Amino acid sequence: MNTNRTLQTTPVTEMDLAAWLDGNLPETAAARVEAAMAADPDLRNAAFELADILGKPLPAAPPRMAVRAQALVGFEVERQAPRQSWLASLFPSFIQGLAMQRGAMAGVAVMVAAVGFMMGGGLGETYAHERYGSNFVAPFGSDTTNDLNDLFSDIS
Amino acid sequence: MTDLNQIDLQALSAGKKRVWDNFVVASTPLINSVIRRTLASYRLSEDDVLDAAQDVYVRLCANEFRLLKTYDPSRASLATWLAVVARSAAVDYARRRRQPTSALDDVPEAALAVEDKHVEKLKIPEGLLTERQTLILKCLYDEERDVAEVAQLLKVDAQTIRSTHHKALMRLREHFQEEKPSKEGG
Repeated sequence: MNTNRTLQTTPVTEMDLAAWLDGNLPETAAARVEAAMAADPDLRNAAFELADILGKPLPAAPPRMAVRAQALVGFEVERQAPRQSWLASLFPSFIQGLAMQRGAMAGVAVMVAAVGFMMGGGLGETYAHERYGSNFVAPFGSDTTNDLNDLFSDIS
Repeated sequence: MTDLNQIDLQALSAGKKRVWDNFVVASTPLINSVIRRTLASYRLSEDDVLDAAQDVYVRLCANEFRLLKTYDPSRASLATWLAVVARSAAVDYARRRRQPTSALDDVPEAALAVEDKHVEKLKIPEGLLTERQTLILKCLYDEERDVAEVAQLLKVDAQTIRSTHHKALMRLREHFQEEKPSKEGG
């Protein structure tokens, strides 16, 4: 008999209760769960219900239950790259497509700058024509080929 | 159909879609039974059963499968642990969705009839019996369960329950007989 022991009513975790239901707890731990059950009618009721369910063949669940639960977890690709851009999707080997995106943006910036530079020269030439009229001699542009031809013909 | 024991827990906790789908198919009969049993006394609808079941699965996969990762296969079977988790989720769901109470006048008198039976809860002096003896007495007297039910719960045969019950009563009798003369004398 166990006259000196007091009933301990420390909280029983879900894992503790499951282990107790399966009969996997050592004596001391089992006694702790049993003390908690003796003190708590809800826990006792839970144990009776669960032991009953686990000892019986189970009826099939409604198909909707499984469909809804399955939808909670997506495929790996969907979960890992939910907002991947079209550019990154073209180059999946690049880490998350970020390096490729930045590289492409830098390239586009260089191209815009180059075109802008060339267009800027052309516009400057047009402006000079407008301002100085026929006295303006293009330093380097559409007439360059003719100038070079003149130069070589003079030498010869 | 996949058995719950065949589920690759590591892949499941890693969020592998196919493993999750198999796990759901294997676990829905158990989750469904636990939810229905737990919600039976709350008179909730079929949609409530589905929602409560969905709550169980949300719990399992929330925060990168944090709850699922706490499961320890060396301590209990996956089915038993899932049943405990499902019951806990169903109780929480029922508390949130508790049906509004009806006015007393709207309830037919027959539904209010209560058997006139005074039941005094068992009060066992602390430390007198073992935890198991106390639990058996509570189940037999407070819960009015039969010996077979208690035997099933404790995974022992009915004769062991009867024997433990008898020993517990003997101990209680001894205790109160010891107490009685001292009270009469004092």
